[in-house]
Amino acid sequence: MAPGRVVGIVGETGSGKSTLGQSIPRLLPEPPARIRQGRIVFQGSDLLSIPKWKMPIVRGTSIGMIFQEPINSLNPAFRVSDQLIEAVRIRKLRESGEAELFRPTEGFDYSKDRPVDPKEAIGRTFLPSAPEGRRPRAGRTSEELRKDALEYLRLVRINDPETILDLYPHELSGGMRQRIMIAMALSEKPTLLIADEPTSALDITIQAQVLTLMKELMDEVNTSILFISHDLGVIAEMADDVGVMYAGGIVEFGPVAEVFERPAHPYTKGLLESVPNRYKADGPLPSLPGSVPNLARLPSGCPFHPRCVFARPPCEPDPGPALEPVKGAPAGSNRRAACYYSEEVVRLK
Amino acid sequence: MGRSKVDLAIFVGKRVVWFVPVLFGLITITFFAGHASVRNPCAVWVGPHASPDTVRNCIEYFGVNRPVWDQYTGYLSNLFQGNWGKDPQGGQPVLPIILTLFPATIELLLAALFLMVVLGIPLGVIAANAGGRWPDHLVRLFYLGGWATPAYLGAVVLAIGIGPVLGLPNSGDFSSTPDPGWQLTHMSILDSILRLDTGALVDAIAHLILPAASLALLNLGIATRMTRSSMLEVLPLDYVKTARMKGLSDFWVLYKHALRNSLISTVTVLGTTAGSLLSWIVVVEEIFLWPGIGKYAFDSILSYNFAGTLGVVVFFAIVVVVANLVSDVLYGVLDPRVEWR
Ligand SMILES: Nc1ncnc2c1ncn2[C@@H]1O[C@H](COP(=O)(O)OP(=O)(O)OP(=O)(O)O)[C@@H](O)[C@H]1O
Ligand code: SF4
Ligand SMILES: [Mg+2]
Repeated sequence: MAPGRVVGIVGETGSGKSTLGQSIPRLLPEPPARIRQGRIVFQGSDLLSIPKWKMPIVRGTSIGMIFQEPINSLNPAFRVSDQLIEAVRIRKLRESGEAELFRPTEGFDYSKDRPVDPKEAIGRTFLPSAPEGRRPRAGRTSEELRKDALEYLRLVRINDPETILDLYPHELSGGMRQRIMIAMALSEKPTLLIADEPTSALDITIQAQVLTLMKELMDEVNTSILFISHDLGVIAEMADDVGVMYAGGIVEFGPVAEVFERPAHPYTKGLLESVPNRYKADGPLPSLPGSVPNLARLPSGCPFHPRCVFARPPCEPDPGPALEPVKGAPAGSNRRAACYYSEEVVRLK
Repeated sequence: MGRSKVDLAIFVGKRVVWFVPVLFGLITITFFAGHASVRNPCAVWVGPHASPDTVRNCIEYFGVNRPVWDQYTGYLSNLFQGNWGKDPQGGQPVLPIILTLFPATIELLLAALFLMVVLGIPLGVIAANAGGRWPDHLVRLFYLGGWATPAYLGAVVLAIGIGPVLGLPNSGDFSSTPDPGWQLTHMSILDSILRLDTGALVDAIAHLILPAASLALLNLGIATRMTRSSMLEVLPLDYVKTARMKGLSDFWVLYKHALRNSLISTVTVLGTTAGSLLSWIVVVEEIFLWPGIGKYAFDSILSYNFAGTLGVVVFFAIVVVVANLVSDVLYGVLDPRVEWR
């Protein structure tokens, strides 16, 4: 993910979107979860090689998260102020050097062909900006922390922050709670924000409000966002790139416009065709027979082959196809698919 | 209904009012059970070698041949006048005895509860966090061991096995009997503090450790198990993940965000445990010669000291009711969603 870019993750329910999102900050309980292969490279460090007890340093200020269900994501026993100030305080402690701050590996370069100075992208303070010359060590009395917390509530367009701050989560609506969750995640100014279906549990009107808010904030905040959703329309609206998930793996990746225009994987194609008007991928897909396999017992070969209309040898034998650049896609478009016949699929109209 | 101080006061007030019929019922049941099971208490009161005349005098004097119903109404009317009755053998009034013995029992009970909380709850957190790995099994072994140990055995092991090794006193509440009038409340630690006597305070704490520990070690399984299971329920919830994702260390995630919610059920269970601890206390006080009400309760029952037994029952009932009330109030304090009603 490039700094400041929004990557969408889309897939049917149970395809492993939340699992993917939570495995990045190593939030999954290990055991039972186990990351069997691959690496999680974040700003030049492999998060799998960091000792588990050091992971909290990466969380919050470097990787933030917004969860799916606003009903459960705030602690019912504490006031909004306690929970929000806690996050603000962690950022301050880490900035002032009183607590350890995760830093990009020396000489880390996002990518060779797009050299970006990560500091430029990460460190940019967006709100509330400390006055020039004021050391971060200041601003930690409870009134100042409270003032900062109020700033963040205003940032997420909460009208009466003074009142809201002193309430308990059960006294707030779902939309309000999700705004607070967003404020909390943003107050730590994370380099990477993982938003796991931030609007799926909300009413349709509130959903639109929160999405608009997030879209506005994305422009203000130079944070990379992993935006998870099962709603193709939302992804098209919010994301720059999209990763399509099936059976726990990414089967297609590329710029949203191109992927949705000319899918290179039969699953993406089916997904798009199944939602002609409302862009909703909930429930069984009419043009895709069958359902998502049990992830504990994946079919051999390409995991999609039992449902794939293109399936023919070598789709069946082990192992399944890897995520590789799509041949035949427009040059320089960075498209990848995990399909033996992606070249053929992408050419279809 | 709400969460204001007034609502809380009304809640507590209602519960206290409800306590009156409960207490009345308890006295009635205890009274009739005692009198129904003992035909002629005078045979015991005057001793096996007394002459028939003495027995007859005793029956006459105490009126034990009167209809039970008359005795009951007589007892109740005395009680309302503040007369709790006398020990038929020694003739001492029951209430002053109970009032000097009972505080020591409360002190022991509170000390045991304190140990159950400060040891039992963190053990539950450790076990839940280990979730099936060896620390979990170790903790389970520890509390099940305590649970399975009979009180007399566990207390004796602590008193004569472990106490001397650690150099802890294993009998009474002070090394030497305090001067008459020194004790204000009959709670050894509280008295030492009130008298600003550090020497006595150290002595009192040392004497309290073993009896309190034996009560706590045998019973802390309740706190540990409840904490463990409610922590296991809370830990997978999203708000615990939110706390982790703020960058909080495991310690704060566990002991602030998760435990605060798990405590809601633990506190309820601990409240009900206070009552059952009272039945263990009788044995523990006997072994450690603790100057509490346990021995008096035991002796009163054996010697058909009805007034004494009823007095003890009333005080035990007060402990149970207060413990439940405190746990209900704590429940509401811990869970902001609760409304007092
Ligand atoms: N990579 C994987 N390896 C093994 N099992 C997986 C993997 N990804 C997901 N699973 C299993 O699939 C289950 C569902 O995954 P997950 O909750 O991540 O789906 P989701 O796409 O977020 O669904 P929803 O849209 O309902 O939120 C998980 O409980 C997990 O056990
Ligand atoms: S690899 Fe074969 S089975 Fe899998 S998606 Fe491509 S065509 Fe279908
Ligand atoms: Mg999910």
